Parts: sequence; C-alpha cells; structure tokens
Amino acid sequence: MIASLFAAQACAPSECFAVPANIAFGICALLMIGAAIKVVTETNIVHAALYLVVVLAGVGVNYLILQAEFLAVTQFLVYIGAIIVLFLFGIMLTRAPMGRSDDLDNAKLRPAGIGAAVMLLVVLGGALLSSFGETHLVFSTANSTTALSDAVFNQYLIPFEVVSVMLLAALIGAIVLARRD
Amino acid sequence: MSSASDFLREYLTVLILGGVGAALVGLLLGASHLLRPARRQPGKSLTYESGVDPVGTGWTQSQIRYYVFALLFVMFDVEAVFIFPWATRLEAYGGFGLVEMGIFVFILLLGLVYAWRKGVLKWV
Amino acid sequence: MPDFVAPTLDLHALAPEFVLAGVVCVLLLLDVVLLDRAKAIVGSIAGLGLLGSLVPILTLATSDHPTRTMFGGSYVVDSTSLLLKALFIVSAYVVVLLSTNYIGEGDYWESEYYTLLVSSVLGMTVMASARDLISIFVALELLSIPAYMLAAWSKRDGRSNEAGMKYYLMGVFASAILLYGMSLLYGWSGSTQLSEIGRAIGEKNSPAVTLGVVFVLVGFAFKVSAVPFHMWAPDTYEGAPTPVTAFLAVASKAAGFVALIQVIGQALVLRMNVMIPVVAVLAALSMTIGNLIALRQTNVIRMLAYSGIAQAGFMLAPFVASQYGGIDAIVIYLVLYAATNLGAFAVVMAIARRTRSAEISSFGGLFSYSPGLAVALSVFLASFVGIPPLGIWYGKLSVMRALIESQGRWATVLAIFVALNTAIAAYYYLNVAKTMWFDDAPEGESTPIKVPTSLRFAVGIALVATIALGVYPGPLTDAATPEATPAAAPSGR
Repeated sequence: MIASLFAAQACAPSECFAVPANIAFGICALLMIGAAIKVVTETNIVHAALYLVVVLAGVGVNYLILQAEFLAVTQFLVYIGAIIVLFLFGIMLTRAPMGRSDDLDNAKLRPAGIGAAVMLLVVLGGALLSSFGETHLVFSTANSTTALSDAVFNQYLIPFEVVSVMLLAALIGAIVLARRD
Repeated sequence: MSSASDFLREYLTVLILGGVGAALVGLLLGASHLLRPARRQPGKSLTYESGVDPVGTGWTQSQIRYYVFALLFVMFDVEAVFIFPWATRLEAYGGFGLVEMGIFVFILLLGLVYAWRKGVLKWV
Repeated sequence: MPDFVAPTLDLHALAPEFVLAGVVCVLLLLDVVLLDRAKAIVGSIAGLGLLGSLVPILTLATSDHPTRTMFGGSYVVDSTSLLLKALFIVSAYVVVLLSTNYIGEGDYWESEYYTLLVSSVLGMTVMASARDLISIFVALELLSIPAYMLAAWSKRDGRSNEAGMKYYLMGVFASAILLYGMSLLYGWSGSTQLSEIGRAIGEKNSPAVTLGVVFVLVGFAFKVSAVPFHMWAPDTYEGAPTPVTAFLAVASKAAGFVALIQVIGQALVLRMNVMIPVVAVLAALSMTIGNLIALRQTNVIRMLAYSGIAQAGFMLAPFVASQYGGIDAIVIYLVLYAATNLGAFAVVMAIARRTRSAEISSFGGLFSYSPGLAVALSVFLASFVGIPPLGIWYGKLSVMRALIESQGRWATVLAIFVALNTAIAAYYYLNVAKTMWFDDAPEGESTPIKVPTSLRFAVGIALVATIALGVYPGPLTDAATPEATPAAAPSGR
C-alpha cells in the first residue's frame, strides 16, 4: 500500500511529499510516543534506556523524512551509537540497582506528570500550530550535506573549532573525575 | 535528487530490504521452532558460562575503567560527524579546509595522548 | 556545485582566543610530557598565559579599527567586547592567584585544574564576541562544562561532589530549555544571527516567538542564578573548592550576563512587550529573595552566594531600560562587581586558611590581630553596599540613572526595588564589618594571619581596581559605551 503511494507520479511535488511522508511520520510518531511512555513508566532502568533508543531512532527517521540525510546519519551515529552507550555504562558503573526496582516509577505522582505533560502539549502545540501551521516545507534540490559543510567552514568556523576544545576539556575532566585514585 | 518523492523513494529500497531481512530471520527461526522437538527443563534455560554453574545474576556493577573507553568513543564519534561533510567538499576547500580540520583533529588528538600518557588506556 | 569562498579571518581580532587555546594546549602538553613534575610550573604558566592574552586585547583596543566584524556579523570585536574579554581574563588571573596555594596544598589534580580553567576562560572570551545563536551556545557550553567539573574537583569530599552534581544537572537542564527557545527563534526568523532574529521578531509577533523569548530568558536565568532559578547556587558555592566558587560567582556569572547582553541587546530588545515583564519579575524576585535569605546566613561563603543572587537582580534590572543606556550600566556593574567580589573571596580565603571556617562568628576581632585583612574586607563590603567612592557605588548609580531615564512603568517599580534592597543589603554586609571591628577575638587568636604572596597580590589587584574604578570611572564608561553605529558596520573588516 505504501509502495503504491510512493509510486504515484502524477502529482505536484508538494503533494507528492505530503501523503507518503505523512503516513511514514504518523507511524513513526506513534512508535515514538509509545516508546517514550515506556521510558518513564518502565521499572527496569536498563529497559528504559533501551526504549530511549526507539525514541531517538524515531527522531532520526523524522530527519530522513525531512530530507536531512546527514542529520539522520548523525542522529543514528552519535545518539544511538554513543549516547546510549554512555547511558548504559553510566547505569552499569554506578551502584544503582539494576533489574526491577519498583520505586523507579512513582505511581502517586502520575496525575501530576500527566497534568504537566498535557499542559506542555497544549501550550507548545498551540504556539507551534498557530505560528507555523500555515507554513509549507520547501525542499532545496541542493545536496544538504555539502551545504552544511560550507556553513560549518564559513559562517560557523569559530564554533566548529571551539567544539574541539570543548570535547577535549570534557574528556580530561571526565577522566580525572572517573579515576579511582 | 530532484524532488521530495524521489528522495523518499530511494529510501523505500532501504525499507524493503530491511523488511526482507526481518522476514527472512523470522521465517528461519519460526521454521526451526516448528520443526524441532521441545522438552523444557530448568537447567536448559541457565546462562551458559563455560560449563560452570553461573553465580549471581547477570546484572552486576562493571569496572569504572570501561567508562574512559566509552568517553573516547563518543569524542571520536563526534569528530567523525564533522569529518564526513568536510570530506564531501575537500577539494573545494583546498589548503584552508586542511588547516582548519588539522587544528580540530590536533586538539582532539591531544585528548587521546593525554589518556594514553596518564595510563587510563592500560588494561591492568 | 557552488564555489566555496573561504571566510576572511582577522587574525589580530582573534589573537586573544588563539593565545588562550595555545595556553590550553601547552598546559596539556606539559602535563603529558612531564607528568608529576609539571605540577610545579603549571600554575605560573597558566597565569602568564592569561596575562599574555591580555596583550592582543590592549593592541586591539588602541588600534585604528576598534570595531571589527567577521563572518557576516556573527563575530564582532568592539570596545565593549574587549572590555568584557579583559574582565574575564583578569578575573581568571586572580582566580589562578587564589588557587596557587589552595590547589597545591590540597589533594587535587593540579595540571588538569588549570587546563580546564583556561578552557573555560576561552569559552567566555568567545562569548564576548559571539553574535549568533550557535556561537553563543557553543561558547556557553565550553565555559560551563569545565566549570561543572571544577565544582566537583575535590574528589574525596562529598559536599564538593554534591556541588558539582547539582550545578551540572541544573546547568544541562537550563541548556536544554535555552536550546529549545533558540530553536523556536531560529524557526521563526530563519537565521541564527541575532540581528536577523531581531529584525524578524520585531516585524511580527507570534506565540512561538513569545515562547522562544521566554525559554531563552529562563535558560539564561539559570546560568546567572536569578530567582526562582537559583536553587543550585548556595550549595554549589559552599561545596566547591573556594577558588572555583570565586570563579563561578564572578567569571561564570558575568559570562551568563554577557550572553544575555548579546541576546537582549541585539535581538530581544525589538520584542520589548515580551522581554520586559519576564526580566522585571526575575530582577525584582532575585533582589528581594536573595537579600532576605542572605540576612539569615551565618557562613560568609553562603552569604556571598545569596548576596550574589541579589546582585544579579540589580544587574538584570537595567535590561528593562535597554534603550536608555541600560546595557552599558550592566557592563559597568559587571566589572565593578567582579573586582569587589574577587577581593572579598580572596580575603575570606586568607582568613579561612587559619581559622578553617568561613563562619561569620570566626571573623570576630579580626581587626585586633590582622588589621590589614580587616581593612581590605571592609573596603569590599562597603563597595558591595555602594558607599561612594568605592567601586559598586558607580554601578548602582548607572543602574538607577538608566532606570529613571527610561521612565517606563516597570523601570520605575524596579528603581524602587533597587533602592529598598540596597538598604536591606547594607545591614548584612555591615554586620560582617561590625563583627571584625568590634567583637572579641576567639581564644588564642592574637598573632597576625600569614598571607601567602599570591593571595596578597590578588587582594591588591582587587583593592586597586575597586578603589580606582570607583574614584575615576571615566575610562570604564567610555569602554562600556559602544560607538554610534556598531551594527551597521560592513562585514570583512
């Protein structure tokens, strides 16, 4: 079914984007919401971290739907490849109880959490819809990766070089703090 | 890549390939599940630990030493993220790009040298 | 594929940053090559390196092109940013002086300490020139990440770990909020450059812009520890090693304000109706609540932490009068506050070396056995109160002048708050002075406190700056006031 939607040729480019991409987004969003709920309700912290992988992968797929190919690869590489590894290491290195721990999900606070989430949804959703609801996405035909590279090496040259010092400082500090002696 | 649909259609191939892979695995595992005899015993579901009975659970605290390796991995992962787009435009940038990327990589390499010299890479 | 045009780099304008990055590399290489033998020299190298980075700032300040713009307006070096860079570097130099004995005598990783300190300063100097969201964010992270770890540098001390942990968690939470706000502003305006964002949000408002402005302000409010986002500050200040506390209270807080100055001055000033109420409420709350809690403190470091929250309120207030010289007033206040606060920390550290405590009661009779320190601390406390002609009085004057000249409703209310809170603050500052001058010394305290040379030097620098800038604030005002048309300068040079 999806394949036939993708194969539809006789339509304007914007419509061509709309249908299949919206379906893909819908599936992806449902998966992400489900996984995100599991992240906060799961009583096993390792499982919660693994559900986070699904959420982050969903973000990557969203980037792909928006044609930000490089960003998607970065998302998979850095978040799923590296950040989750750190997450799991962090859990396994500390003396935090692994396996099931019932106090990980505080059922008493659930109404408050739901209230806050709904409020945030209404405020953010309302603001975003009323501000960007009428905006149509415009995709450039240029290769986004080279455009990104040009921006990094031109307008954002200073932040780019500063990032290297930041990573270095983070590494040194983390090594010192993580050492046993 | 002329339009949005072309772009996504290319990824449809990826999707189909992934689907075929998943179906194949499911098919093979399902087939073996149906064909093999099943006699459940508690001893069979124990974790295999070189033939010795396992002690404790699989959830244990690990050595903090691993953490440094994870950190180094993250650092060079981020470095790679910056190198990919640079590589697509390597010729256009010429010497300028080389110098800028050289500075970036040099500063990050200092971190590796530091870790090595301070002995955190040593496996005791 | 389009041709790539390499950006024009003004190496002179970037020289301070290059020197600082070089110092980071040199410190690290020394540590890598010499290992433990490096400990003897890293402190001096860090100090010299910081002083060395002042040289290009001086040559830039006296050059023919005081305003230099790069990357199409994303990176600007003008007199204000040079003043702020000098402020960061001198503050860091004083912190190095404070650290020399403290870090050397304690159980600390010394080489790495200075490496992280200097990288944090590099982030601050970048911040002073950054005029676009990505530069600001990266600079903010570079200055914060080493600071999170330095707060926990006393590894065996549970309170230091707690300090680092609280600071880190609150800091990254603030970063997340800030980043979300920035993404909304970028989404609406389609540019990361502050001037472009200002133009776009000035033309037309939308709920997303309002949300973006509020989130950005809240994110920075965490960084400058404004009420109600101040919870981390007292515990972090008390638990962190004292030189790090001085660094956080002065340089790190100033960097947060510098970021606010860029973002508000270049962009949000064109969306006054959203910006002013948020900032005014933050300022009023910070002043009042910071002062009221400071009144009840018995520990000098905690008192300085809460009074720092109140002072942050004084510095937030003039944003309401941004178009009436309010921003210049903030820059002036920042410089004077840094001098006074660093001096106060230096004296408290000198005293704590002997008494091993920072309780106010342990300062009793200080004048009788260490008159020099007592006089110095009294000068700094009087400057905090705002007694002319000492340091901060001129900052308070500039703040009040900006607030009154703007004649806005919010500005008038804030001016009343500033006046009231100055009176409250006078009580607890002068209470410490009273303890030093009139109370009896604790048993057995009669010999003068021996102060190491570096601490002595730090107190001297702070004293000279506090008194000189209070008596003769002319050059400071000149540097803090930008030239007529900085934003209109073309790119390139």
